[in-house]
Amino acid sequence: MQAGAASHTGPQAAVRLDPQAVTQRWRQAQGAHRRVGDLYARDRQLLTIDFHEEIGYLLRAPAFGRVLITPSGRELLCDPEPDRPDWAAILSAQALPFAATLCGFEVFHAAGVVANVGAVLLTGPPGAGKSSLAAALVRRGAALLSDDVVALEHCAKDDSLIAHPGPAVLNLRPAEDERLSGAEQAMLGSSTKVAGKRRYAPAAHGDAAPLAGLFMLERSSRAPAIERLDEVDPFALIAANFNLCVRTPERLKRNLDLVARLAASRRVYLLRIHPDVDATRLAMTLQEQLVTVAL
Amino acid sequence: MSSLSTQELLRSQARLPQHVVHRSFVAETVVLNLRTGKYHGLNQTAGRMLEALETSATIGAVIPELAREYEVDESKIESDLAELCHELLARELIEIGEPAG
Repeated sequence: MQAGAASHTGPQAAVRLDPQAVTQRWRQAQGAHRRVGDLYARDRQLLTIDFHEEIGYLLRAPAFGRVLITPSGRELLCDPEPDRPDWAAILSAQALPFAATLCGFEVFHAAGVVANVGAVLLTGPPGAGKSSLAAALVRRGAALLSDDVVALEHCAKDDSLIAHPGPAVLNLRPAEDERLSGAEQAMLGSSTKVAGKRRYAPAAHGDAAPLAGLFMLERSSRAPAIERLDEVDPFALIAANFNLCVRTPERLKRNLDLVARLAASRRVYLLRIHPDVDATRLAMTLQEQLVTVAL
Repeated sequence: MSSLSTQELLRSQARLPQHVVHRSFVAETVVLNLRTGKYHGLNQTAGRMLEALETSATIGAVIPELAREYEVDESKIESDLAELCHELLARELIEIGEPAG
């Protein structure tokens, strides 16, 4: 995992497939670790996160396997579930973003693309349309930063906010994917079916990019469609963070600092998604607005 | 609720412990206790009061300035300020000590 463009290099992390090392190291943690995260879908446990101060964080997803992340976030040891060819989903969806937080980035639940004005981030609840809109922007020439998680960093040198790329795949729900023509699907690159969604690998932006705007998606028929927020709800930004498990004083302060900079940047917008407007039209409207957004 | 009377409170200094940080936003101030990981939101007026308290030798010393700023009686500021301080004390977001200097 390498973060950053030539002018925004970031820390690197080593990822290793080593089930034995995971077992041996975590054995030393027995009795002295604590549960810091639990993720359920209805009654099904999806992910647990345990922490030991010296050994690190053990992420365990019953269907995929385990990943042990050292406290610095610079080393990830993987113990995949046998006979599970898609086990690496725990890496891209959980472990790497988690490690990015430990490495000093603030990771948001957001889709992100890089347009000609810079990085455009899309946040919102599940089903708000983040992936659909990101896909529509990619079809209009933007490059994908990430579908699910985007790392933000404050660059002290020029007091800017920088968005770093995540896993370069786009997951579309069946209903949205079926709306696309063959040509539109082809523009999103090669695809496979994963967990009921269509996963595309479009043209990706492999480098970090300056933040042009963060758009908070909301389903609404109110106008205007795009509104710069003069009053940003800080708790909405705090809640949009991917990692609520790492709660050291240093990390909490860093997160609050970044949220404050983001709110003060005047680059946070509300993007209202009218029920009658599809992602393609919305992407056109957003791109037209992006020129003024960047000023 | 703190056992200090209002007059004792006004003669004291309010200090933010090192493990408490705050950041101002347009509509509110977020106060974060780094030890507990708990966030607290203050409205604009309370946020302004906290800001004034940080640089004041005593709690009472900020009353005239705030009364002018908000164009209200000093007695109103005094009671609101005392209430805020008791609340912040109860949440361990400030410490009360001898006046500075």
